[in-house]
Amino acid sequence: MPEFLDDFLFTYQTLIYALGVNGLLALSMYVVLALGQLSLGQAAFMGLGAYVSALLTVKLGLPFPLVLLAAMLAPALAALCVGAPTLRLSGVYLALATIGLGEVQRIFFINSELTGGALGLSGIPTKGGLISIYGSLALALIAFAFVARSKIGRAMEAMREDELAAGALGVDLPAYKLGALVVSAMLAGLAGALNAHVSSFISPNDYGFDAAVTILSFALLGGIGSPFGPVLGAFILTLLPEVLRPLADYKTVVNGSIIVLAVIFMPRGLLAWRMGRAGAATGRPK
Amino acid sequence: MITRRFALAAASLAAMVYAGAAAAQTPVTIGAIEILTGPNNKYGVAIKNGFDLALEEVNKAGGVLGAPLAIAYEDSAGNKDQALNAARQLIGGKKVPLILGPTLSNEMFAVGPIAVERKIPIVGTSTTANGITAIGPYVFRTSLPESDVVPVTLRTAKEKLGVKKVAVMYGNDDAFTKSGYDVMKAAIEKLGLETVTTETFGGKDTDFSAQLTKIKSLNPDAIVVSALVEAGAGILLAKKALGIPDSVRVIGGNGLNSPQVPLVAREAADGTLVGSPWFIDKPDAANQKFVADYKAKYNMDPDQFAAQAYDTLFIVAQAIKDAGAPNAEKIRDALGKVKHNGVMGPFSFTPDRDPADTSGVVVIEMKGGKFQILK
Amino acid sequence: MFAQQLVNGLVVGSTYALFALGFTLMFGVLGVINLTYGFYLSVGAFLALFATQHGVSIWLALPLAALASGCVAVLIDGLLLTPLRRAKAPELASLMVTLGATLLLYSLANAALSTDIRRFPPGVIDANALEIAGIRITMTQCLIIAAAGIIVSVLLWVMNGARIGLGLRALAERPDAAALMGVNAGALVRLVSLASGTLAGASGVLIGLNYNAIQPYMGEVMMLKGFAVIILGGLGDIRGALVAGLVVGMLETLTAGYVASSWKDAVGFVLLVLTLWIRPSGLFGRLAVKRA
Repeated sequence: MPEFLDDFLFTYQTLIYALGVNGLLALSMYVVLALGQLSLGQAAFMGLGAYVSALLTVKLGLPFPLVLLAAMLAPALAALCVGAPTLRLSGVYLALATIGLGEVQRIFFINSELTGGALGLSGIPTKGGLISIYGSLALALIAFAFVARSKIGRAMEAMREDELAAGALGVDLPAYKLGALVVSAMLAGLAGALNAHVSSFISPNDYGFDAAVTILSFALLGGIGSPFGPVLGAFILTLLPEVLRPLADYKTVVNGSIIVLAVIFMPRGLLAWRMGRAGAATGRPK
Repeated sequence: MITRRFALAAASLAAMVYAGAAAAQTPVTIGAIEILTGPNNKYGVAIKNGFDLALEEVNKAGGVLGAPLAIAYEDSAGNKDQALNAARQLIGGKKVPLILGPTLSNEMFAVGPIAVERKIPIVGTSTTANGITAIGPYVFRTSLPESDVVPVTLRTAKEKLGVKKVAVMYGNDDAFTKSGYDVMKAAIEKLGLETVTTETFGGKDTDFSAQLTKIKSLNPDAIVVSALVEAGAGILLAKKALGIPDSVRVIGGNGLNSPQVPLVAREAADGTLVGSPWFIDKPDAANQKFVADYKAKYNMDPDQFAAQAYDTLFIVAQAIKDAGAPNAEKIRDALGKVKHNGVMGPFSFTPDRDPADTSGVVVIEMKGGKFQILK
Repeated sequence: MFAQQLVNGLVVGSTYALFALGFTLMFGVLGVINLTYGFYLSVGAFLALFATQHGVSIWLALPLAALASGCVAVLIDGLLLTPLRRAKAPELASLMVTLGATLLLYSLANAALSTDIRRFPPGVIDANALEIAGIRITMTQCLIIAAAGIIVSVLLWVMNGARIGLGLRALAERPDAAALMGVNAGALVRLVSLASGTLAGASGVLIGLNYNAIQPYMGEVMMLKGFAVIILGGLGDIRGALVAGLVVGMLETLTAGYVASSWKDAVGFVLLVLTLWIRPSGLFGRLAVKRA
């Protein structure tokens, strides 16, 4: 590799990895929002994936693909526990319950000897890289693009537009909602595991409420009209503070404004464009 | 990126003006990562002030290697990812042969491995947690770790105040206060003190009545506390409100060694005991000169972070001179051999790159809202 | 020691209840989880702080700061939530908008005021503790307990007895029908915002007095506990908020005193998760929420 390219990759490595990881996180948020639900537990799912994967690598030395699989299954289980009782109720319950999940999990990580307490886990070997991060992102995007064009995608869209009507038309609402939450948790867990294996150090406070809100702002900036929107939103919000350094101090101001403006003025997102599919509105499931 | 290149140019320019004769030379630029913005920027700004004051003196005295010395600052805002990006910029982009900082131990745990990977020496001036220098052979620190300061404080309390039974309280959700606790626990065991109970709290907690009521019922001689200013002040206030007698001292770690504590806790802070690697009223001439110069330049009192930074820059400048070239590997070897007598007292590195000399530690107590040396 | 711990628990519990009352009132009548609620607590505390620093008596500063916080609440509700109500946006839209606004408001407050903690000037209130049979309690703490009791009684009376309560309940059950029956919905919305913002501001002043730790984020910390309390008490249930606040505060204190202080903060959230599993309608069981 030529030296200048090597230097370039070294200099921007953290940023390049962060773009991919945040893209995955934005997609995980998209799955839930696409059904008109709100989860504030994406950071918690990410943290669970990060901790499970780091422990399996450091303590047991399991092979990386197996570790990634476990990092997806553990948050999936957590999502089932939180989602099953709350998704039968109105949407605010899921939002509040996922906040609760994040807090309980944080207190557990802080108090457990196994997870290194507040000091976190350090010395996680570098196993992830460009291929695993961007490969996962590409796979997830392709899968979502297919789903969005399928019958499931149309059912999801119908639910978002008018839940009652969709239910009346025979869409199995609770199953769809729970399924989406589980898929979302798996994606966030994967993102957490990849991130832990490129940054070598994780600590409980990385996965708090602030992180959850940042992930939400990725998705809302991009809009949930198509899976590409949230990823683009994540890219923009990750790059912005690097390009415009003064903005870095006002990151929370920017994120907050995006959420407010997006909800009030642009419910489809600032960068929304819809999948190239004519007659989307008429494609309701029978 | 343009703004930063401009800032660097401005820094070099300033260095050239001071350096006089050496002005024609390109400066030797080292990097520094500190918290310059955001809620914790008071630490980073004090450190930067300390560096800049020493830099002025170094360059007045002819700089290093016949050229002025310059510092390229990067802001971490207290965020470890931003610290990581900053380190990559300094190493990969600016190609600095040495990095000062970062401010927090947490940031060092993230940044240290990168410096080690690229074989660039990195010198923490305020990172006091356990295990910092164990990151790798290029990680140094000039700040005395808590494990050197806390035992001195506790031994003094035992000898001068007759403390035998202690209750321990620590913030368990923060790396700094947790590692401070680990050190306290080890020191308490080593001194043969009895621990009646160990209680925890969260860094953002405001209510400590449950823990302190329990502690009161166990009648300890002193309460050993590992907390940052906010929680520490809250504990002092609750201790007074619950009627725990003043003779039961609060013995703190570095977190309570702050002029902020009496601002909030007021008279409840009196009697608090902490150990400090540096103290503003230390009488030696070097320290008096530093305090006077600092006040003249910045119009405020220096704190321990400024003092540590001030000494560190002289140590690093000496190492660059000894190395004979701005080469990372040579600077690293030279750093290990530097001997310096600064405002903190005599200084050299142990083979493990920690400070070797703890004779500068002073135990101070709060009286009438001000720290003074414990008699 | 046990008696002192019970008093400690009662004080902490009353603080939670005081905070949660306005929060649950907002949800009960307006049907939104308004996450900016915690910010009004910070507003109240800071306004009272500035007033007392300029020599205003705390007995005057407390109601004024509380009322001013209420006005801020009305303003923010009008800016953010009224447009959504008009557009008949889904309830999660209002949750999200207040989430973004919270982030924005706190970071602006933080930039303007810094995160250094502050304290009321000395002597604004008698800080000495009374000692009765070995139990210590301060004047502020008595005030907090009394305030929680009085406010609940007033709110319950208004909602159930007074004429205006009828309109409020109509608004809560069927906003569209209430409008048809001549309830001035806009005015009632503003009134409820004012009332709950005032409650938040008042609890901010009292919490600031009790713990002497005033800083911009103080509301956010309370907010997390607030979620647990209002879910346990049942969303929108005033009596439930009082009881749940006391239960959470008492259990936290007893956990710290007799089990392990490291699990103290988990109490509220474990109760939250259990409530959702076993009895999502909360302690008193009336499901105040319309199903989605």
